[in-house]
Amino acid sequence: MQNRLKIERAIKNLTQDDLAKLIGVSRQTINSIEKGRYVPSTVLALKISEIFDKPVNEIFELEDTD
Amino acid sequence: MNKTQNNLRLLPRRFKKAAFSLIALTIFFVVLIFSEFVTVEKELAKTVTSSGILLSFLLLALTRDKVEDELTLIIRLKALAASFIYGVGYVVISPFVNLLFDGEFINDEMGTEGLLLTMFLFYFGMLWLMKKNR
Repeated sequence: MQNRLKIERAIKNLTQDDLAKLIGVSRQTINSIEKGRYVPSTVLALKISEIFDKPVNEIFELEDTD
Repeated sequence: MNKTQNNLRLLPRRFKKAAFSLIALTIFFVVLIFSEFVTVEKELAKTVTSSGILLSFLLLALTRDKVEDELTLIIRLKALAASFIYGVGYVVISPFVNLLFDGEFINDEMGTEGLLLTMFLFYFGMLWLMKKNR
């Protein structure tokens, strides 16, 4: 799973900590998602898409190996 | 949305203080016994000490962190699974190791309390390691 979380965060000028507080998770969780070490649940992905005002599949994208 | 699906019913953070107090109390009890201020039967002292430590470890394991989210939930479950596998592995492998080395490496008298204690330590170790590398 690829994601554009870091880019979207930069566009909105949000730090990992800001985003973490907005969606109620730890900063480390945001870091893990950005690095691709953790794939968020549907609920978390929807919360993220709501923050960036974009559909989930514009932020998260399936890879060929998925 | 089912709120309990992605949530373990963990104890509030104030239970961490209770757990540490219980550990301190148990250590104080051990010190009292060793300094011979109190004379208690060896078996009773052993039972009280192991129960105190096990109960405090259980409280620590069941108390929530500052931030609990779905990743910490997964980490908790993985650490729990790892400690369970360790426990089963220990029970299965230790008799063979004892047989091979005449009980030099593994203490046969560790008992249930000892096994649970090492399982808790394994759980805390795994939890710490996985949280550090998340």
